[in-house]
Amino acid sequence: MKQDTIVEVKDLCVNFYTNQRCNRALRNVSFSIRKARTLCIVGESGCGKSVTANSIMQLLPDLGRIESGTITYHGEDETVHIEKLPRNGRKMRSLRGEHIAMIFQDPMTALNPVFSVGYQIEEMIREHLELSRARSSEHAVKLLRDMGVPLPEQRVKEFPHQYSGGMRQRAMIAMAMACAPKVLIADEPTTALDVTIQAQIFELMLALKEEKQMAILLITHDMGVVAEMADDVAVMYMGNIVESGTAEQVMSSPSHPYTRALLDSIPVLGRGKAQNLEPIRGTTPDPYNRPEGCQFEPRCDYATEICRHQMPPEEFVDTSAGDDTPHMVRCFNCKELTHV
Amino acid sequence: MIPFIIRKVLVLIPMLFVISFLIFLGIELMPGDAVDFMIPPDALATISQAELDVLRAELGLDDPFLARYGNWIGQVMKGDFGYSLQSGVSVRDLLAQKLPATIELSLAALVISTLLGSLLGVVSALNKGRLGDHVLTVAGMIGVAIPQFLFGLVMIVLFVFQMELLPVGGRMTPGNEAFFQRLDHLILPAIVLGLSMTAGVMRYSRASMLDSLSKEYIRTARSKGIPEWRVNLIHGLRVAMTPVAVLIGFRLPILIGGSVVIEQVFQWPGVGQMFVAAVRSQNTPVIMMVAFFSVSIVLTASILVDIATALLDPRVKLS
Amino acid sequence: MSSKSLQRKMDRLLTLENQGKLRTSTMNRSVRKLSANVLALVGLALFLLILMSSLAAPLISSYEPNAIDLKHRLSPPGEGHLLGTDQIGRDIFTRILYGGRISMFVGLGSAIGAALIGVSLGTYAGYTRGVLDSAVMKLSEIMMSFPQIILVSILVTIAGQSLWNLILIFILTGWPSMYRMTRSQMLSIREQEYIQALQAFGIGSVTISFKHMLPNAIGPIFVNITLSTAMFILQEAALSFLGLGVPLEQATWGNILNVAQDLNILRNAWWVWLPVGVVITLFVMSVNFIGDGLRDAADPTQVG
Repeated sequence: MKQDTIVEVKDLCVNFYTNQRCNRALRNVSFSIRKARTLCIVGESGCGKSVTANSIMQLLPDLGRIESGTITYHGEDETVHIEKLPRNGRKMRSLRGEHIAMIFQDPMTALNPVFSVGYQIEEMIREHLELSRARSSEHAVKLLRDMGVPLPEQRVKEFPHQYSGGMRQRAMIAMAMACAPKVLIADEPTTALDVTIQAQIFELMLALKEEKQMAILLITHDMGVVAEMADDVAVMYMGNIVESGTAEQVMSSPSHPYTRALLDSIPVLGRGKAQNLEPIRGTTPDPYNRPEGCQFEPRCDYATEICRHQMPPEEFVDTSAGDDTPHMVRCFNCKELTHV
Repeated sequence: MIPFIIRKVLVLIPMLFVISFLIFLGIELMPGDAVDFMIPPDALATISQAELDVLRAELGLDDPFLARYGNWIGQVMKGDFGYSLQSGVSVRDLLAQKLPATIELSLAALVISTLLGSLLGVVSALNKGRLGDHVLTVAGMIGVAIPQFLFGLVMIVLFVFQMELLPVGGRMTPGNEAFFQRLDHLILPAIVLGLSMTAGVMRYSRASMLDSLSKEYIRTARSKGIPEWRVNLIHGLRVAMTPVAVLIGFRLPILIGGSVVIEQVFQWPGVGQMFVAAVRSQNTPVIMMVAFFSVSIVLTASILVDIATALLDPRVKLS
Repeated sequence: MSSKSLQRKMDRLLTLENQGKLRTSTMNRSVRKLSANVLALVGLALFLLILMSSLAAPLISSYEPNAIDLKHRLSPPGEGHLLGTDQIGRDIFTRILYGGRISMFVGLGSAIGAALIGVSLGTYAGYTRGVLDSAVMKLSEIMMSFPQIILVSILVTIAGQSLWNLILIFILTGWPSMYRMTRSQMLSIREQEYIQALQAFGIGSVTISFKHMLPNAIGPIFVNITLSTAMFILQEAALSFLGLGVPLEQATWGNILNVAQDLNILRNAWWVWLPVGVVITLFVMSVNFIGDGLRDAADPTQVG
C-alpha cells in the first residue's frame, strides 16, 4: 500500500438479484483513491461505475450486496474495513459525510424538494460536528459563499427549486464539503448540466482538491472530462476494470482495445470534419447472458481464440512511472496492440 | 394567500349556481309533486281536484319553471330553504337540529381514519415485504371490500347483542345528554365509519411513502450519515405527507356518503338519515338542501386542499 | 423484506446461478409478473369460481330463487337447504347464486358502460383539447362534486327503481372518473414525439387519438374497469340497504343482505345475511386483487 492511499478497493465483487436472476455487476475490481489526486472511472452506462461508487458508501439498493473483496478506508488514526460494516450502522454513518462525502448526478432530484437548502446543509453539519444551531447556520452560509453561490445569506433560506441547475450542484458540493471530508465521490456530477456550467463545476472541484488536499473519485462516461480532470484513470467494461494507470499512460498510450475504441469515438475540437470517428461496433452484451471469456471479445477487432474462453488476467505493461501507478491492462493481445 | 383564497371562492360561485340549477331541475323531474305526498292516500279520494289545484297554487307549484327556480334561489341566498313537506318545520331549523350529530360522527371518523390510516400506511411501507406489511395489506384489502353497512351490522351483533357492551342505535339515552354520557352511543358508529375509511387512507399513504422512499434524496440523506429514522421520518415522510393530505381532502365526499349509510345502520339522528327519509318520501325541499349543502362542503374542502398543498409543498405557488 | 430472509433469497439465487440453472425468461414480462403474483392468482381463481357457479346456478341448485315455502321459514342451514331459508322460506344458497348474476351484471355492465363513455370522450377530448375538453371537464367537475350516494339517490328517485335504471344511473355517475383518468393518460401521451410525426403526416385527430394513442393507455383503463366493477357492486348493495336499489322482487346480493335491517333476523338468523355478506366481500376482494395485479404487472418501474 502506498503512503497516500486513502481508500483501497481490492477484488471487489458486487451482485444484484433482480428478475429472479443474479447479475454480477462488479467482478474483481481493484483500485485505490489517493490523497490530492483525482481518480476517474470511465465507461459506458451500465458498466458498473455507479455501483462502485455506491459500494464504497454502502449505499447499494436492498437487492444488491457485496459478495467478496475488501474496501479499506485509511483514516488518520484508524483503518476501517468498510465491507464488513453493517449498512446503516453507527460506524458506517460516522464515515459517511464526515470522512467520505458524495455528490450525485442530478442535483434536482438528489436534494429534498421540501426542505430549504440551508436546512439540508445544516443537517449534515449538526450530525457530525458539535456546533450550535446559530454556528452551524453561519457555517452553511460560509460554505455556500465558498462554493461561489451569490448572496448566500439569502439563498440559504431558499428551496432547491428556486436554484438554477449549476447553483444546485454548488449547493450539493457545499453540503458534501461541510465536514471537510478526506474523499469526495462524484457520480457523474455534471451530466445534467450545460457545458459552460460543467466547466465551472469542474473548476470548483479542482480548486477544492488543491486547497483541501482532498481525494476525488470522479465517475464519468465522458473521455473529454477524463482528459481534463483525471490524475489517474480506470476504464470499466461490463463490471471489470480493463485498463488503469495515470491519465498520461492511459490517454497517450491506450493499451486495451476498448480504451482505444473509446478514444477513437470522441470528436476532437478544432479538427473539423476531417477526423475519422470510429463508433464501437455491436452493443454491450446482456448482463445475464455474458460472453464466456473476455467481456469485450464479441466487439473487439483484435480478438483471438483464447479471448473467447478466458478473461485475461491483470498485466502490467509499463512500469516506467514507478510502482506507485502501474499501467494495468487486461488483454491477451495488448502487446500486439501497442505496436499497431 | 388571501387573494388566492378570494380568487378560488369567486370561481366557486358560478359553479354553485350551475349546480343549484341542476339540482332544481332534477327535483322537477321527480314523479309526482309535493301535494301528492302531503295528503294521505285515503284522504285523497275525498278531496276534489279543485281543492288540490288551490293547494298547488298556494305552494307556488303552478308557476313557470324558471320563475320557481328564481324564487327558490332568491330565498336560498337569504338563507331560507323552505319548509319540510312532511313536518312543516323550516328546513333551516331541521338542518340546525340534525347537523351537530352528523358533524360529531364525521369528525370522529375523519380523525380515526386519518390518524390510523396514515400511521399504519407508514408502518407498512417501512416494513415492506415483512409479515406486518402483509397482514396490514390483507386487512386493508378486506376493509376496502366489505360493504360498510355489513361491517356495521357485524359490529352491532358482536358488541351489542353478543357482548352487550354498548347501546344499540340512537345518539343518546334520554336523560343522559352530556357529551361524556352519550360517548358510548358514538363509539360504535364512529369506529365503523372510521375503520371503513382507514383502509383506503392506509393503502394510499403506504404507496405514497414507498414512492417517497424510492427517490434520490433518500440516498442523499443516507450519504450524509444521518440515522435511519431521520432518513425515513424526516426526509421520507415529509414529502409523502402532501399527497396524503390531498387524499384526505378528497375523501370528504366518501365520508359524507359513508355517513348516510352508517347513520341508517345505527339510527343516528343526523343529516344522512334525514336525507334517506326525505328521498323515500320525496320531500323535495329537504333533498335539495342536503344536496346543495353537501356539494358546498365538497367544494370548500377542495379549496382547503389547495391551501394545505401550498403550505406543505414549497414548490407549489399560490398563483 | 427483512434482511435475513433477503440474504437467504440472494444465497439461493447465487447457488442456482453458479450452477447455471437460471435462464432469463422469454415470457412476456407482464404475464410473468402477473403469474408470479400470488394474490392476483388467488383473486382470479375466486372470481372465476363465483362467476361460474352463478352462471351454472340451475345445475347446482334444484330450487327456484323466488319459490316461497311458508312451511320452512327461517330454517337454519341443513335439511336440504344448504344455507337455510329466509323469512318467507326461499332457499338462501339458491338466491345467492342467482343474485350473483344480477349483481355481477350490474357491476360489470356499469363499469363497461361508464368506460365506453368516459374513455371515448377522454381519448378524443384529451387529444384535441379545446372547447370540447373544457366543457366536458367542467361537467365532470360538477358531477364529481356531488357525493356519489347522494347523486345516485336523487337520480334513482327521478328515474324510478329498476335494474336498467340503476345501471344507467351508475353509468351516468361513473363516467367522469373514467374520463379524467383517460384524459390524464392522453395528456402525457400526446407530448411524445411520434404524435407530432403523425400530425406532420396529416393524419386526422380521430385516427391519431383512437388508433395510435388509446392502445398505449389501455393498461390503466383495464385496471380502472376492474376497480369500478368492485365499486359498483358495493354501491348496489348500499343502495339496496337504503331501499333504493334494484326492486326487491329480483334477487341481488344487495337485496338478500337488505333483510338484515330487521333486528330480529340480524340477531337470530345469521345464515340469512352473513353468507351473502361474505360472498360480496370475497368477490369485491377478488376483483381488487386482479386489478392490483394488473396494475403491478403493467408498471415497468416495479421489479419482479
